[in-house]
Amino acid sequence: MEKRNNYKAWLYLAPALILMAVFTFFPLVNTIIVSFIENYNSAYGFNAEVGERVVNTGFTFKNYGVVLGITPRNPSTGVLDKTFLSFTGPSALGNTLMITFITVPISVVIALVISIALNQIKVLKKFFQTVFFMPYVTNIIAVGMVFSIIFSTNGIFNAMLKSNTNWINVGASYWNSMLILFVYIIWNALPYKILIFLSGLQNIDKQYYDAAKIDGASAFKVARKVTIPLLSPQILYITITSFIGAFKEYTAIVGLFNRSYTADGNVPDLFTVVYYIYDKLNSTDQVQYASAAAVILFIIIMLITLVQMKVAKKRVHY
Amino acid sequence: MKIKIVGLTKKFPGDIKKGIQDTVAVDHLDLEIDDGKLIGLLGPSGCGKSTTLYMISGLKEPTDGQIYFDDEDVTFLTPEKRGIGLVFQNYALYPHMTVYKNILFPLTSLKVKDNEKSFVVEKSKKIIEILDNVNALIDLIKSTAIDGKIKRDAAVSAICNKYKVSMYLARQIYSYNLHASTDLNNDVQKRIDDALISIKEEKERLIKKNLHVNDNNEIVNENNECKQIERKLTKDEMDALVREAARLVQIENYLERKPAELSGGQQQRVAIARALVKKPKVLLLDEPLSNLDARLRIQTREEIRKIQQRTGITTVFVTHDQEEAMSICDRILVMKDGKAMQEGEPQEVYRDPKDLFVAKFLGTPPINVFKGYIRNNQLYIGNEKIKDVNPNIEDKNVYVAIRPEGFIIDDKGVFSLDCKEIITMGRDLSLVCSSPFFVGDKIKIIIDSDITPWIGTIKFSIRDSKLYVFDEKSEERIAI
Repeated sequence: MEKRNNYKAWLYLAPALILMAVFTFFPLVNTIIVSFIENYNSAYGFNAEVGERVVNTGFTFKNYGVVLGITPRNPSTGVLDKTFLSFTGPSALGNTLMITFITVPISVVIALVISIALNQIKVLKKFFQTVFFMPYVTNIIAVGMVFSIIFSTNGIFNAMLKSNTNWINVGASYWNSMLILFVYIIWNALPYKILIFLSGLQNIDKQYYDAAKIDGASAFKVARKVTIPLLSPQILYITITSFIGAFKEYTAIVGLFNRSYTADGNVPDLFTVVYYIYDKLNSTDQVQYASAAAVILFIIIMLITLVQMKVAKKRVHY
Repeated sequence: MKIKIVGLTKKFPGDIKKGIQDTVAVDHLDLEIDDGKLIGLLGPSGCGKSTTLYMISGLKEPTDGQIYFDDEDVTFLTPEKRGIGLVFQNYALYPHMTVYKNILFPLTSLKVKDNEKSFVVEKSKKIIEILDNVNALIDLIKSTAIDGKIKRDAAVSAICNKYKVSMYLARQIYSYNLHASTDLNNDVQKRIDDALISIKEEKERLIKKNLHVNDNNEIVNENNECKQIERKLTKDEMDALVREAARLVQIENYLERKPAELSGGQQQRVAIARALVKKPKVLLLDEPLSNLDARLRIQTREEIRKIQQRTGITTVFVTHDQEEAMSICDRILVMKDGKAMQEGEPQEVYRDPKDLFVAKFLGTPPINVFKGYIRNNQLYIGNEKIKDVNPNIEDKNVYVAIRPEGFIIDDKGVFSLDCKEIITMGRDLSLVCSSPFFVGDKIKIIIDSDITPWIGTIKFSIRDSKLYVFDEKSEERIAI
């Protein structure tokens, strides 16, 4: 009897399992394998017998070395590729880390402040909720285009500042471009966070606030000692998902700049890790580097999430 | 503190467009509560008792009327300025804070007006006082040992409880490590000297500003006048208050736990401790027992009574359970549809209800109501003449209400009922009867268990004091 039940259970699970096997598990394993193959070429797959061409010459750690800028891609020239990792200038990993550790904390704090304020007002509450939620349902590329108009050299932002700074157009300075990128990402990240925080806030029992009122606690104290601790499960959830999301940032750069460099000359100083991966996927003989970068990203995200869970155990209440 | 309520009214506005009328939750309520009394607001749900409580607390604003604490009009004061403690129905303990922090929370925002004091002198004097009898201290510390090992936390809390000092001072005293001292006299003398030195230094510091410390550790000027200051409580004072409140409700062993790790009754006591820690002049309890199981409810209500009597604090207690209100309150106020129906001592209200509603609301099993009439100065139910009545009552239809304990089985009885069921309850018997004149579901009668009743028609005589007559239209009591 039990066996038959088992069999049925697996049958019910099958559609989901098959889809996950094809589109999640296989690519995951395949990526890891490809990242360790020397001279992999996606045009030929794992087939090593391709006439004169040097393809799929076996297991190696070299791909990781190339991505991290330790091993030259072409031993004869000895040139190191520093686009992924560089300690002297902009790099894909550097940009990604900067985006993550600047935009996530700022957007979480801003979203928290806005949602606590929104939760307290009575007049126009619905209106402001809609306003803050709008960006969520707006296409990110469209928003990027609007941003690029606002911040263009003769755009409205410069008009307000009465300056003609080049913020994001070709030839803008690296830091100007990054600044606008941060603003864009933060603004874009707010609605979802506000949505989650607001729903969390509405679940907090009003009696906690009545109790605090009787004790004469100030609004700031209530926020710090009552609201935020009671919202900590949502804050943790948002922080972890935002960190993961920020590590995967790619669309923002395409939307805002539609290119990977600030100045002319094709130095890709606006790469993020995922942008770098997509870029490498364009040529069939560089897929192994994309795979290696993807594995590195996977490890970083996993480590950071583990750290967050550790912190959460101490910080998140009930 | 005396509470006086005059014409208190609360209206919740309706919506004219949708045809919803204003809801009057509380309707011109007048009430006086004497100092130190426990009063129960009693009524069915929706009668406005909780709304009244929240208006007294200041969390809800009245539409009309005034509330006085003693002679001060507090109607429009914010809750924190009224000096009240409130226990919520579901306790509203902060789930992320320990019991200690929950009780501490009200104190952290509290500002007190006080004579300026020298805490250094106060603390040092206390240390000297404790060290004067150092053997008692060492015995105390050693008595907390488990398997011969002295645990710091246990010893510290023992010191806290015995000497009524704050945890911080207790930790300091424990850290002197006198229980492990090899040269006790010398060590104690050194600590006392230290304390004396800090007193001396503090006094010297004050003298430079022409100030002195009097016997109450207050800072006084050359004319022996204290300076009044408004200040926050010190950590030591807060700690002492928290522990005092915790001791009062006997939860001092659970201070480091979170509310979720406590039973319902313990949570209830934490909520009371939190309400009492500020030493309010009025304690408000909103259905405090409704979340507890039956046995705990009886135990907790007695505890609430004890705590109230020990502190002598004026208490308002909201409940829909008449038994609860009757058992612990000094006075009860029965409410219906926002209006006060009757106010008085519980037994008095039970014995002498003003109208049918109050009579029906008090008592378990509830009072039995029959349709009757008065003809020629005699009271009838159906064809049976129950008794003679006051000659100046005109003939009319009435409700006759008889308490379950008002029936006596009697062959010569005046009133017959059809007994359907006999329920044995140990101490007494309960009869379920029926009558064509009965208003409601089941007639319940309680009789002594010594008597053996039977199924079928039984004649009863009626105890006069358990029989009430009410006008059929106004439902008001008619004196017979």
